[in-house]
Amino acid sequence: MATATRYMGRPLKRKEDPRLIQGLSHYVDDLRLPDMHYVVFVRSPHAHARIRSMDTSRAQTAPGVLAVLTGQDLGNAVGVIPCAAQLPEMKLALRPPLATERVLFVGEPVALVVAVDRYAARDAAELVEVEYEPLTPIVDPEKALARGAPVLHPQYSDNVAYRWELEGGDVGAAFQKADKVVRQKMVNQRLIPVALEPRAVVANYKPGENKLTVWSTTQIPHLLRTQIAAALGVPEYIVHVIAPEVGGGFGSKLNVYAEEVLVAHLAMRLGKPVKWTESRRENFQATIHGRDQIATMELAVKRDGTLLGLRCHILADLGAYYQLLTPLIPTLTGLMICGCYKIPAVRVEITGAFTNKMATDAYRGAGRPEATYFIERAIDMVAAELKKDPAEIRRKNFPKPKEFPYATPTGLIYDSANYPKSLDMALKKSGYRRLRAQQAKLRRQGRYLGIGLSTYVEICAMGPSSAMPAGGWESATVRIEPTGKVNILTGASPHGQGQETSFAQIAADLLGLEPDDIHVVHGDTAIVPYGIGTFGSRATAVGGTAVYTALVKIRDKLATIAGHILQEDPQRLVFRDKKIFLKSNPAKSVAFAEAVGAAYIAKALPAGMEPGLEATHFFEPSNFTFPFGAHVAVVEVDPETGEVHLQRYVAVDDCGNVINPLLVDGQVHGGIVQALGQAFLEEAVYDENGQLITGELTDYAIPRAWDVPRLETARTVTPSPVNPLGVKGVGEAGTIGATPALVNAVVDALAPFGVRHLDMPTKRERIWQLIRKFKPTGSRPATKRVGDGRGRRGRRKR
Amino acid sequence: MKLQGSYTLPAKREAVWQLLNDPQRLAECLPGCEQLEVVGVDHYRVRLKLGMAAISGNYTGSVKLTEKKPPAWCRMSVEGQGAAGFVQGEAKIELAGEGNQTVVRYAGEASVGGLIASVGNRMMELAARRILEQFFANLASQLRT
Amino acid sequence: MIPAAFEYHAPKSLEEALRLLSRHGNEAKILAGGHSLLPLMKLRLAAPRCVIDIGRIQALRYIREENGRIAIGALTTHTEVLESPLLRAKCPLLPQTAWEIGDVQVRNRGTVGWSLAHADPAADYPAAVLALDAELVAASVHGTRTLRAMEFFVDMLTAALLPGEILTEVRVPILPPRTGTAYRKLHQPASGYALVGAAACLTLGPGGIVERVAVGLTGVGPKAYRAVAVEKALAGKKASEKLLTGAARHAVPEHVEPLSDLQASAEYRTAMAVVFVRRALESALARAQGKPR
Repeated sequence: MATATRYMGRPLKRKEDPRLIQGLSHYVDDLRLPDMHYVVFVRSPHAHARIRSMDTSRAQTAPGVLAVLTGQDLGNAVGVIPCAAQLPEMKLALRPPLATERVLFVGEPVALVVAVDRYAARDAAELVEVEYEPLTPIVDPEKALARGAPVLHPQYSDNVAYRWELEGGDVGAAFQKADKVVRQKMVNQRLIPVALEPRAVVANYKPGENKLTVWSTTQIPHLLRTQIAAALGVPEYIVHVIAPEVGGGFGSKLNVYAEEVLVAHLAMRLGKPVKWTESRRENFQATIHGRDQIATMELAVKRDGTLLGLRCHILADLGAYYQLLTPLIPTLTGLMICGCYKIPAVRVEITGAFTNKMATDAYRGAGRPEATYFIERAIDMVAAELKKDPAEIRRKNFPKPKEFPYATPTGLIYDSANYPKSLDMALKKSGYRRLRAQQAKLRRQGRYLGIGLSTYVEICAMGPSSAMPAGGWESATVRIEPTGKVNILTGASPHGQGQETSFAQIAADLLGLEPDDIHVVHGDTAIVPYGIGTFGSRATAVGGTAVYTALVKIRDKLATIAGHILQEDPQRLVFRDKKIFLKSNPAKSVAFAEAVGAAYIAKALPAGMEPGLEATHFFEPSNFTFPFGAHVAVVEVDPETGEVHLQRYVAVDDCGNVINPLLVDGQVHGGIVQALGQAFLEEAVYDENGQLITGELTDYAIPRAWDVPRLETARTVTPSPVNPLGVKGVGEAGTIGATPALVNAVVDALAPFGVRHLDMPTKRERIWQLIRKFKPTGSRPATKRVGDGRGRRGRRKR
Repeated sequence: MKLQGSYTLPAKREAVWQLLNDPQRLAECLPGCEQLEVVGVDHYRVRLKLGMAAISGNYTGSVKLTEKKPPAWCRMSVEGQGAAGFVQGEAKIELAGEGNQTVVRYAGEASVGGLIASVGNRMMELAARRILEQFFANLASQLRT
Repeated sequence: MIPAAFEYHAPKSLEEALRLLSRHGNEAKILAGGHSLLPLMKLRLAAPRCVIDIGRIQALRYIREENGRIAIGALTTHTEVLESPLLRAKCPLLPQTAWEIGDVQVRNRGTVGWSLAHADPAADYPAAVLALDAELVAASVHGTRTLRAMEFFVDMLTAALLPGEILTEVRVPILPPRTGTAYRKLHQPASGYALVGAAACLTLGPGGIVERVAVGLTGVGPKAYRAVAVEKALAGKKASEKLLTGAARHAVPEHVEPLSDLQASAEYRTAMAVVFVRRALESALARAQGKPR
């Protein structure tokens, strides 16, 4: 049975878009149930304080109020917020859903109000009186670990959450025989995910049916269902979780939040449908943050640029409590710290620290952007130190294509790659040599162009269950209805990735149908078999493979039925154009719908065959996949103001086989822009009192359309051997690859001013100061006025 | 947030000192003070309406003179809490007589939390300065009458 | 983001609005485009007891030539300013400034008059109206009065409007020939407000002498101001790059206390004021000389 690829590989427009663009879709906040009540949380304004007293009496009697609850009122009715991570000797820091004795971060909920509408609830929330006794906040993770620092969790003696080590090869020897050791401390700053749709939860309990339905903005409906059942102490079968349209997650909705569990509890406790919608301020304070690692990198190198060894110490600021995966994220940084280079000896030490902040957790890339940033910045420093071209240092240390699968000293097996090929393509496409010549010329004119490279590898398609905290497989059911239309039920939970389209493309090719004959269902635990969800660039490589395998099962069954009708060998049949026919004689055919009908009418099935047309597959991947690529960023720095203008961006990515290039480009574009946010703009700033002073979009800068030039994307294709589709995953690649390319470009632009490293975000004022304070040993570089103040609007046309 | 500055008041040091230690007159000088109640020696409970232009919020809290050396200096602490967050601050206030005038120097540290800290960043320092200026201007006009 | 309860009025005429305002006094806030007031109300940083929405008073929405000046109704949107052929031809500084405000949505809703009345220290228009020596017309139940831009900005978020007054009109001059204008701005990366915004209006006389020049600055201090020292350094002198560069050094006079926040220290703001004043002057000069910029 041959599979013609008529749709796989084609840039089909998203099936999802017409309804989304026209506003015909439903997000959680769009749901309105009869007699719905609304929840508002009362949150701590203090980073660290003892709760002296709480008085809810005025709020209780406010108009429209149904209930006001504190942690005391809840008692043991709701369990702690779960953490799936387990590391050796890890201290537990489990969060109660409502704080009772102490608050440990600004925004931690201490009470909640339920009322007839949002206004009444909000008014009453202001009447809840909480008396706090402020305690010393622990904000800086380095100070948190200092001797004598106040301790966040009094049951422990210090603020160390865990220490984690990894060693491969002879690190001591590597550093001994090194010609040079390049050292740098680097900060990968704390970020706020800022999904377009904030979190929202609606819950409804029907006591007669004993059925609790929870609609939530989640990336993991099944895991959430299990955790809600556990936290409420009810059987899982009474809980039904629905993730309707979800407006972006970036990992921030790969979690189980206090608000989700509490709203579910309230629906049961009060017997009313209950809704909570997060405000953007709450989204900033109390939805997980990302990154926040301080690394000290040391690379041992030979004079010719050969890498001998790497030592890395990472201090990870975990915040006050663990969310679902908090402690695990930095370990991914450790595993991927070698990047796409052959480094024979590696030692990584990670220290997780508790501070009075919101928890960090998985944010697009989750540990890999940090690893890539650290190694790619360090490689550029090696190039600068040895006065070699950064492209050549990279090429010199790549494993050769024939060395794959390649085992890293951190214990991973990179599945497949051709690093020189993607680097060559990126250099060619960007006109790297010409850019370097142009840079030299402009420098003489007092203009500062910077060219930044990044060659990255990342780990995705999470992953083999043996290496995952709670299952790494994915499920799919293919059900062909009696009319011949196809339902695909996937355990993945897309929220912007477009798998309704790409899975339909896979199915259309396998069954010889049109994508419009196929409907992809996801995000509903009552319809879809248990699944894991969408995160870690896994939905296509793991979820898509489950779909593919289920499709193969059902196609085999249909072929058997068609073979029975045609009296031909099923192996010699082809599915195309809604027909099943003999490859050697297309005239000998049966309509697809007729074969399907036969399965349901069940009067003339082959002996022993079950009626119906449904197949389920749970796919367990044998390994992760390792997409890679090469990016080139070109920036110009305005030496008068310190502004950085991104002029060009060239991205060559290899995510294995491509099912829909439009979706892949979309993921790459979004990822690059999010990386630009981290490189140039974004920073979650807690002041010395633990106040989140970038508490709204007026102070936390995310990238705008005018910050981004036309992105130049291209691909190499190195299929993955890990799954039959040969796909790798691309959801996070842009974010992982682009951050170091952008910062490397800025540092490159500032090289004439003696700049060797600059932490993110590369703020204008900081650059201005570096230029101003530069004391040249020779003659001072010229600065010419490059800008005319038209700044970021300059390239816009009207 | 560090706050420091000086202000010249049109009265002798003793008169200024008296004013700072007279709860009723002090209440009239505290910007936005809607109520002041003596709860102990040098310790007052206050209700303040603070803000600038369209932005304002109600705070309840306390004012305390924690240390004092009449008529040269004292240490004052203020704290308040409201729906928009909390403010707390402590400053050393020094009085230096210069003829019929008194130069008041203050140096202290203030912190804010909650909503006003997370969204008011760009205006915070200036708002604090304006409130202090208002306080001294009120003191000056009290001393003139 | 749910505001506290308030009483809402949507008068159809200015007279009705003035009556409402005089009745409700300090407890009322004027709502025009809503881009300043509504965010404050949603956060409950502002909780006025009464909101008077003047947005439906069509009579306050116009741009017309009148008595040798251009009169702009206070409720004219930024987009209308940006796209006005009259302003583009005869007073381009306002459209040039409007182009730098916010984004499309903000420009479609925000109004010129009430952006000025809010007196945000980082708003864009204040720099332009100062450089144009514009007049602002305020009405109350007692009549109208005209204020000069120089006296309009009192302090951070405080304009010289009296209780009971509504800003109704902005009047800008028709610029003479050989005049160039420009607005140059360093955007606050998150909000898009001006960390520094410099507006320049420069008229050349015979022999390339700077006949008249005015420079308005916003974003630097608690209120927008005219950079008088810059103007003095230029007036009556032959325009040159060197002259402009030297003059721009006076962008931040001693009496201005530069703001300092997360996005820019006072030191950086001061330095950028010098850079952006120079850039605005350079562009204005080039335009006055008839060179496209």
